Amino acid sequence: MTTHQYSKRQWIKGAAAMGALAVAPRLWAQSGNPVRIGYAIARTGPWAAGAQVSQEPNYLLWAEQVNAAGGLSVKGTRRPIELIGYDDRSETETCVRTYEKLMGSDKVDLILPPWGSGANFAIAPLANRHGYPLLAPTALSRKLIDMNLPYFFSLLQQPDKMMGALVDMLVANNVKTVAIVYMDDLFGLENFAALNNALKKTSIQVVERKSYPLGVKDLAPVLRGIKDQNPDAFIGITYPPDTILASRQAREVGMNPKFFYASVGTAFQLYKNVMAANTEGVIGMGSWSVKTSPEAKAYFDAHVKKFNKEPDRWASGHAWAALEIMQQAVDKVGLDRKALREHIAKNEFKTILGGIRFAGSENASIPGTVSQWQGSDFEVVWPKDRATAALNPNKPAWK
Amino acid sequence: MSLTSWAELLASGLITGGIYALVAMGLNLQYGLMRIMNISHGEFLMLGAFLTWWAHTAWGISPLLLMPLAFAVLFALGVAVHALCFKRLAARAPNVDVFEARSLMVGFGLMFFVQNTALLIWGGDLRGYEYLADPVQVAGMRFTANKLVLFGVALALSAALIALLKLTLLGKAVRALMQSPTGAQLVGINTRRLHPMMFGIGLGLSGVAGALLSMTYEISPSMGEPYTVTALIVITLGGFGSLAGSLAGGLLLGVVEALGMHFSSPSLKMLLSYAVFIGVLIWRPNGLFSKK
Amino acid sequence: MKTLPSNKPWLALAAGVAVAATLPWLVSEFAASVLLSCLMYIALATSWSLFCGATRYLSLATSAFFGIGAYASATLLGVLPWPLVILAGALIATVVAVVMGAAVLHLRGTYFAVLTFGMTELIRHAVTFVEKQVSGTVGRVLMEVPSNETVYLTVLLIAAAAIATAIGVKRSRFGLALAGIGADEQRAQTLGVDTRLAKIAGFGLTAAFAGAVGAAMAVRWTYIEPAAVFSPFIGFQTVLIALIGGAASLGGPILAAIVFSLLAETLRLQLPYGYMMVLGVLLILCVMYLPNGLATLWQKKGAQHG
Repeated sequence: MTTHQYSKRQWIKGAAAMGALAVAPRLWAQSGNPVRIGYAIARTGPWAAGAQVSQEPNYLLWAEQVNAAGGLSVKGTRRPIELIGYDDRSETETCVRTYEKLMGSDKVDLILPPWGSGANFAIAPLANRHGYPLLAPTALSRKLIDMNLPYFFSLLQQPDKMMGALVDMLVANNVKTVAIVYMDDLFGLENFAALNNALKKTSIQVVERKSYPLGVKDLAPVLRGIKDQNPDAFIGITYPPDTILASRQAREVGMNPKFFYASVGTAFQLYKNVMAANTEGVIGMGSWSVKTSPEAKAYFDAHVKKFNKEPDRWASGHAWAALEIMQQAVDKVGLDRKALREHIAKNEFKTILGGIRFAGSENASIPGTVSQWQGSDFEVVWPKDRATAALNPNKPAWK
Repeated sequence: MSLTSWAELLASGLITGGIYALVAMGLNLQYGLMRIMNISHGEFLMLGAFLTWWAHTAWGISPLLLMPLAFAVLFALGVAVHALCFKRLAARAPNVDVFEARSLMVGFGLMFFVQNTALLIWGGDLRGYEYLADPVQVAGMRFTANKLVLFGVALALSAALIALLKLTLLGKAVRALMQSPTGAQLVGINTRRLHPMMFGIGLGLSGVAGALLSMTYEISPSMGEPYTVTALIVITLGGFGSLAGSLAGGLLLGVVEALGMHFSSPSLKMLLSYAVFIGVLIWRPNGLFSKK
Repeated sequence: MKTLPSNKPWLALAAGVAVAATLPWLVSEFAASVLLSCLMYIALATSWSLFCGATRYLSLATSAFFGIGAYASATLLGVLPWPLVILAGALIATVVAVVMGAAVLHLRGTYFAVLTFGMTELIRHAVTFVEKQVSGTVGRVLMEVPSNETVYLTVLLIAAAAIATAIGVKRSRFGLALAGIGADEQRAQTLGVDTRLAKIAGFGLTAAFAGAVGAAMAVRWTYIEPAAVFSPFIGFQTVLIALIGGAASLGGPILAAIVFSLLAETLRLQLPYGYMMVLGVLLILCVMYLPNGLATLWQKKGAQHG
């Protein structure tokens, strides 16, 4: 039995803060010619779980930090940030309409992206048409990158890279058989396709391929079938609820492969809360930890201090990096959005994840990575030159 | 597949079905008795889950102790909701169909309100905790202890409710009301007290279901809707007003889903479930277990 | 009927369309989008009411038809000219509705509602499955999209057509048949109404407009996937708006669509964290104090019929 550190006092504080926020549409509306930065993001609906862990908290933390340090540097002049954020209700149409308002009517200085591939698909062409650079940390689709929109930049590693890294790691560790379970949506399917492509070039055998729909409540039958086939590695292309479901139920049915991979959600603090000691050895999508750089640790600590919850070890880091890039670009070239685009497209930036440079819309600097739970942290274990810890190739059995 | 694996498969279907049955019975009480189509039923399940999670993580109270508490809180809430929203509607509606349509709309309003209040208080993140999650061996099959508790409690409560309705005077009154509202009132059954109580019991049951679910699954403010939908399907399959039908229908649906997932892929599970549902209704329009 | 049907509704419609058609060029892009969402729900709620309001069959299948139209659009966008894409969306949705209707329209009340909801989910999962098998992916990207103004005018035309159809149907024998089914279906049958045909035709009409709207709106999203276009919320909102407005009236759903869309948008922008709660409370109050819908605000007593 585990308890999550969550005191009554903090709950009351949170509720009071929420009450205050309910009537304050604009956060930190400051005087003194503010830089207006607008966005719509999921606060309600199915996208909210991801958006509220990996993305919006970063926007709030960043604006607060920058303003506390005197404001955003616009070509040297410091001006306060005014964040204008709205709920897009996890609806594409609402999201589109809100950005039309922000860019077309309100004419904000800069925009920040919404959460997820679906919303970014809708907003990227719109932002492109209005000439607003969009640096997206949670857009994952080769199709989106291939649209070659000059104002769109994706921070997250694309499926081919992430799956390629996973397969390389498995090959290097003499894995012979794998079983795959994947989600029935764009993310699941693109990653599944990329995974199959990467596996085809190896001699690894796939003993099982099963897909499942959003909102599945029971994977035990599938997992029992996989247990009977005893593969070396289990690969789940899953979202946080299913990641946890698969982990819990793998334990329930006693499926103990040497490698247990669950893509999204393993990087969340929630995974640690629920699985406790059973996180040990589990691998998943992650690209940074506090050991990646001192700035990463500083960011981690600040996030925990403000929100009483950890950032996730994958998209959160990329969201913060996107904000750092925006900040550095504005410092150099000001708020001329065309110049910003040029600057972002052609330069390398220093971020908590290391140096980042773009090739077209894609992040050309960060390779596919694999992370593993070791002790209380989700360390990067592959590729070796990015690793913050060595891979443990023998996952202990579920307790 | 070995015999044990088959048994495990069926058992896990029954366990899932147990929860379906519990939630459906609560909804059936409200619809079968009062024709209140409470489409916000799942939101109260969510409240039960959050209450349990919160009390457990903040004060360390065991979820097993919290279940009666969840029932009590949701029962009280149900009586209040009925008094505030549905009583007036019932008094002013010209006929039952109209009342149904209006209660459906109020249900929507409640759904928006409750779900978003929860969002405001707890945020949209997934929450979860571990309780009794160690696997146990039962007759060669492996389950986590909390799943067994879930099934046991769900079954016990369902059986208790059916017994209540069949054996007690109160239950006779409720069944009389379900059969003939006017007739029942003519013989002196007090609807003014019975309706709020039954509505409260309905919500209380969904609260307990939520508490049970919080032990085994992750919770979020939007978790309620799928359970409302499943409950609707179950009460339609089992027959409106038939609590035994809901129990059987819920268990059956759970087993069908488990088998369906095994023979095809889980992706097809939903497709099959709905196809079966529609097929059954076309074949037996009043539900599988109705006597018509 | 004691008086000849007046020309007032037609004149009002024509005037409304004329004014609305000029708006995209007069107001900001955002305001035009808000108007667009009003028009979308006018089209959906009016076409829903023309069948469901009269016959009292509560259909939750609007999302299914909307989604079918969206997928038709995504598939045929580069292949057919724009007007034909919309028509294709409407047509395919109608065909599905007729098939669906033939199977389930003999059930009444709650059964019908739950069944139409189930059908929506069935179609969603079927589309997901087929897409996965056939194209290996589950969403579709819409590449060559028409301009925002084109989409606006298209939806305006669909809404106008829905209103025109509603006016026409109400005054025809078909409309009488539908109302008769709503009042007392068995009696209508004994009076010689082919209830089965009437119901299927009405249900099909509802689907046609929903499909057309779905086809038009999909292009605004660049990328569609089953969860987004088959979202049950679209169906819920349509039913809600129609019932709030007064499903049996003509002006009720139109007014309710405008009020609801504007109110929801205003609340969302003004109360970024609490608006849905307020919306829920307002909805409950509206049902409790204006149970016959907004239409009762101007309808005379004689015209009311629950």
